[in-house]
Amino acid sequence: MNDGFLSYLQQLEMIAFFSGYPLVFAISYAIAENAKINKGFISFILPSLPFSYGLLGILFLGLQLKNLYPDYSSANINSHLQHPYLVIWGLLAILFFIPGLRKKKQLPLIHSFAFFALILIDLLKHFSNSNGIVQNDMKVYAFSLIFNMCTLLVVTTIGYLFKLSQKTPAS
Amino acid sequence: MKRFNNKLLMIILLIISGYGIISSCTHKDQVLPAAVSTAVKITRGNHIHLPGLTAGDTTQWKFDKVHSAVNWSTPFLEVGAALTGKFNQFGVADLSNNTKLQNYVVAGQPLPDTSWAFYEGQPEKSHFAGYVQINQINTGEPGRDGGCLVTTLATTKIVPGTQNLTVTNIAQIKTTSITFDPAGNDYIVVFNFTWQGGLAAPITESITGKLTYVPKALVPAGTYSDFGLTLAFQINKADFGIISTETADKIDIVINANFNNK
Repeated sequence: MNDGFLSYLQQLEMIAFFSGYPLVFAISYAIAENAKINKGFISFILPSLPFSYGLLGILFLGLQLKNLYPDYSSANINSHLQHPYLVIWGLLAILFFIPGLRKKKQLPLIHSFAFFALILIDLLKHFSNSNGIVQNDMKVYAFSLIFNMCTLLVVTTIGYLFKLSQKTPAS
Repeated sequence: MKRFNNKLLMIILLIISGYGIISSCTHKDQVLPAAVSTAVKITRGNHIHLPGLTAGDTTQWKFDKVHSAVNWSTPFLEVGAALTGKFNQFGVADLSNNTKLQNYVVAGQPLPDTSWAFYEGQPEKSHFAGYVQINQINTGEPGRDGGCLVTTLATTKIVPGTQNLTVTNIAQIKTTSITFDPAGNDYIVVFNFTWQGGLAAPITESITGKLTYVPKALVPAGTYSDFGLTLAFQINKADFGIISTETADKIDIVINANFNNK
């Protein structure tokens, strides 16, 4: 892994997109398991999780394309990608739009652990240092939690409204 | 995923997140960095440059006329783009003693260029005096320089091999005060500007200009140092009896003077 500044920035990008997912997943699952509140809109949260994760993958792809703009040559892509395997792993999140994969709700969780592990590694490596890396990571992690929750909220709302529109009798 | 497993997952994630938050907590309020100052940063050294003529004495600074210039510019016909020119012959000598005002039959400047001293940190000690030969005006048009301009500037034509330092052909400056420019690294120079021009006798005006010091530095690949002074000011040609509709009254003058210690 390249230890340069650009490399660290790209790592932060990936943390921002995917590292908040495990906690959002766990909270969503806990809510869904509570039968008392798992009704109506709330009941749409759990099925929406893979969709929202796929949407994160799409947004991540958009960011990469924006970063590469306007030169999409292989030379530029090679020079831009500091963590090519991690970026490709991140882009694989788009696959969770595929119905077959969407049914396996734990797969996005496993996928996102790769990025949560980045925080974990930084925590272990820099806990005793006051170089600000852990602070940075936690700020980005907090952003990632909010980002993941917003994405889930958007996808759930769309799914819920779509379902409501299907139930509405035709006039 | 079973309920127990999910609870365990959530507990682990919360512990890790809490651990991260605690470890990133510095218990200090983050102090915002100071705002960028918009004030002009003034830095001045304490270089002292004194004149001399002894070749090889690096404590003595010699006027490098070959690499210096006295340039002027004024809007053409008062409204157009700048008409520019320079003077081919000039020097850093004090001609206020009238006995020096005469024709010298020599090729170069007849008087030593030693009427100056520069103290970077003590401008009150700095001073300089200098002159230009008016008929050595050079606009790049021989017909104009040796023709109509000679008449317009009320002087006489160049006599080859002669340096005309007579009163009708000399414009000279002599500083009366030099102070720090409070707005920057430059200096404010007040000096007497003496020129006869189209008048019956020379008049002296007190003029204020801005002096810029280019600090001394070793010449690249050389064994000596160089420093520069740039003086910019403006005169009103009408004050000196010069009548010409081809140029504006205001003439901008920039003197670029280089000195070395070869």
